[in-house]
Amino acid sequence: MRRFSQYAFEISDVSHVSFWKKAGPMDRVYIGYGLLVVLLVVISYLLGATGALPYDPQEINLELIMAPPNTGGHLLGTDFMGRDMLSRLIISIQAYFLPGLLAIGIAIVFGTCFGVFAGYWGGALETATTYVSNLLNSFPRLVLILLMVAAFKPDIYYIMIIVGVTNIPVVASLIHSKIQFLKQKNFIEAATALGLNNCTIIFKHILWHNCRSVLIIQATLGMAEAILMETSLSYLGFGVQEPTPSWGNMVQAGSNYFMQGKFWPSTAPALAILFAIMGFHLLGDGLNSMLERKGDR
Amino acid sequence: MTTAKTILEVQNLKKYYSSSKGLFTSLRKTTNFIPAVDDVSFYIKENETMGLVGETGCGKTTIGKTVLKLTPPTAGRILYDGKDITGLSQAGFRPYRKQMQMIFQDLDAALNPKMRIRSILKEALTVHERPSDAQVDRRIAELLEMVNLKKGKLNNFPGELSGGEKRRVGIARSLAVDPRFVVADEPTSALDVSIQAQVVNLLRDLQQRLKLSYLFISHDLRVVELISHKVAVMYLGQIVEMGMAGKIASAPRHPYTAVLWSSLVDKTTGEGKSVVSDLEGQHWGVFDFERPTTGCRFAPRCPVYEVKGRPPFCTNPGTPPELHRVGEAHMVRCHYPLQ
Amino acid sequence: MTDGPVLKIENLYTYFYTRSRQAFIRSVDGVHLEIEKGQTLGIVGESGSGKSVTALSVMGLVTAEPGVISGKVGLKTANVQKNLLQDLSEYVKTATITGRIMDVYKDNRRWQKNVDRVMRGIRGREISMIFQNPKLSMNPFTSVGRQIQESILLNTAVRSAAEARDRALYWLEKVRIDSPRLRYDNNPYGLSGGMCQRAMIAMALSSEPSLLIADEPTTGLDATIQSKIVELLQEIKTTVGVTTMLISHDIDVIRALSDQVAVMYGGTILEHGPADAILSGAMAQSHPYTAALMASIPNREQIRTKAYLQAIKGEVLDTINLPEGCRFYPRCEQVTDRIQEHCRLREPGLLSISNGHRIRCWRYQQ
Repeated sequence: MRRFSQYAFEISDVSHVSFWKKAGPMDRVYIGYGLLVVLLVVISYLLGATGALPYDPQEINLELIMAPPNTGGHLLGTDFMGRDMLSRLIISIQAYFLPGLLAIGIAIVFGTCFGVFAGYWGGALETATTYVSNLLNSFPRLVLILLMVAAFKPDIYYIMIIVGVTNIPVVASLIHSKIQFLKQKNFIEAATALGLNNCTIIFKHILWHNCRSVLIIQATLGMAEAILMETSLSYLGFGVQEPTPSWGNMVQAGSNYFMQGKFWPSTAPALAILFAIMGFHLLGDGLNSMLERKGDR
Repeated sequence: MTTAKTILEVQNLKKYYSSSKGLFTSLRKTTNFIPAVDDVSFYIKENETMGLVGETGCGKTTIGKTVLKLTPPTAGRILYDGKDITGLSQAGFRPYRKQMQMIFQDLDAALNPKMRIRSILKEALTVHERPSDAQVDRRIAELLEMVNLKKGKLNNFPGELSGGEKRRVGIARSLAVDPRFVVADEPTSALDVSIQAQVVNLLRDLQQRLKLSYLFISHDLRVVELISHKVAVMYLGQIVEMGMAGKIASAPRHPYTAVLWSSLVDKTTGEGKSVVSDLEGQHWGVFDFERPTTGCRFAPRCPVYEVKGRPPFCTNPGTPPELHRVGEAHMVRCHYPLQ
Repeated sequence: MTDGPVLKIENLYTYFYTRSRQAFIRSVDGVHLEIEKGQTLGIVGESGSGKSVTALSVMGLVTAEPGVISGKVGLKTANVQKNLLQDLSEYVKTATITGRIMDVYKDNRRWQKNVDRVMRGIRGREISMIFQNPKLSMNPFTSVGRQIQESILLNTAVRSAAEARDRALYWLEKVRIDSPRLRYDNNPYGLSGGMCQRAMIAMALSSEPSLLIADEPTTGLDATIQSKIVELLQEIKTTVGVTTMLISHDIDVIRALSDQVAVMYGGTILEHGPADAILSGAMAQSHPYTAALMASIPNREQIRTKAYLQAIKGEVLDTINLPEGCRFYPRCEQVTDRIQEHCRLREPGLLSISNGHRIRCWRYQQ
């Protein structure tokens, strides 16, 4: 009998319902989980900065190589150089966070610019942008990264610049199609007719009111992608370089021992990757359905 | 009426759309031009309504948008209040946007779906001026009263309003800048019958109160006849007949106008079948996909053309019919105007 | 055999959940309708009055949840005689409070299967439908002629392709498409709007249905084309004589084509009866809503004198929050002190005021 409320409360009026109430139960779970992952990143920084980790992640202890979990105070065991897995696991999220933000930043800032150019002004600019996007899209990303690594050095920041640049077309086409969709609804034209200048229309009406959910989702997905990219590069040996820990190079280092039955040095970071990527994806998903629901019945 | 001054004048307005698209077609020299608006001239006096009727795709909306510089014209001149505004840049035109507004056909057009009604109206009020918050509140209240909308709706999103309410908000938003001239593009077509009458009354009311001039674009002939002082009938980008509203409806001179109004008459009561009904053969309405761009554009569908035995004069590209006077303030574009 | 109406809808309820799933949109809320053989029933109403949903419910094309929840749709033709909503109560449980359905449980998946089984041989064969947008309702990749041919092969006794092609050409000619042999190979997008609507009508008629449902057949067409389509439908009515359920918001179209008229508002029938009686516009013998609706269309006199239009105050009824009493009460101008209490608190029933003319209004009840 849950639909009793009909008489008491005018359901059609959703604008006074709070932000959280609008989200479905699954959205809340998604967002909650995603935020937990973000919180863990923050905690990692706090622990790293205050030195409150269980062990020093760089400390080599040759007495205790490849210790299984829960031996000698090492909760997740140690790796092939006797370093504490848990501490390395905690600290290694930092290998992604800032480079990931860089990749996202590049993709979103430039992608939005191109998208707006193509979608808002159109004409020759649209054609040019589309061709540049297609050109960028047709380049295999991994080859670009390997070229970059060969030309400079295997640094995560260089890699992430490439990841960001190759993501520009994705964001640009999203914004482009969104603007084209909005133009069909005439309200850009209506805003012009009212006398608003282009700047207000683009930043307020298009980007702030109608594209922010797209951009937020793109950002969360970008973070997940950065992690995945680094992992695959680490496997080739081009990712974050030892001794700086990253989940990617931890998996790679541990994989040599996997067949010997010593699975923990590779499984623990692999699980971390899994949960982190899932977290960012779900966060994007949840935010999407919540932000998009606002304002319509 | 004779002393009122002309607020808007359009001279030989042309708008061609090119049908080419893409990189390679633009390199080719020959492009297909579709004349959406072809050589249209008219003027509107202060506090006057001009109705613009015609079927879908005849260029009515394009005229409205070109007048407000939402799309650039291919050729022709637009004068507002005696000043030529054709060549102005968007920035140079901005002061005029305070005086010229548009009511869009699409109910949702003016309303950003992610903004509350209050912010939509507030934005409109602060585009050209910098009023204080108290002034904004007072003006919003005034506007709501003017368009007869409940105050409780201010905190809603556009998606939560009914069609009629959206239309009112759209009108309020256009009026927020205190315009003198309004292009009303099919303001009633998206609404229910019972709401249409409300909006028509509202628009007439506002015209009297605010001394507005309307360019009223619609395909609803009855509403146009009711609200307009003069009416222009368009067919495939050209004005085929222009005159006082009553004349156009009761004594049309162009075959198309006659057909248009007769379609209304015989649908309602069957009484007062017009002059065309006996001219009409089986052919009428069949060739509705032919859209010639030279000669008389209406010829393929024209009952008179049929009755006269298809004179080649009508379809000859060298002798297209010109808009000429046939009576007091009555122009028609036809070689054989009806009597 | 021909006794009784071809289609008899009794007590039809079709609800949808709102976005939040916390309430119902009561699209069709207790509809009774009858269509006699060979007659045209015009259903007139504003947007959201439930006229289209009624048609879709009859066709079993309502897929949104919960959809059809109760009622009876009796179809009685030469070949078929059954309730199109048979066994509905097996799939639906409803909870009613003070005569209003407040909660529904429906096994929609099994119900859809059941509908498809029941409607096999009826959809397209016994009942055809003309939609508002012909270009969207026809397959854009197949020529119109071929589509009609296929429909004939599928739904009639014609078995050979050549014969079906001839039948298709016959129907294209019947709807006055010029040079049907040429148009036969056109794709829907190669035809103009009016032409395409004609082709759609040809396709609906080609299966020789017992009942034709025309859902806003003229909406979205230009005035001149509209009147041509109305003329065509009038012609078909006399030559083919198919029983028709015509849905439109345009009173003129309804007036031109209907024998019987039903006026819908907020999911229910406010007035049902012979077209002349209802559309005469006489205030004394019609529902206040019908009268007000007719008065709000500018007539010649008003246009000549530039008079103000008689608008109906307020907004179109939102079928989520129904008023307790008469649905039209909040906008009604005809409420007198005598009936005011009734109007506000209790919904009137359909009362017969003369032969076959029924009105749902307290003014006519003692």
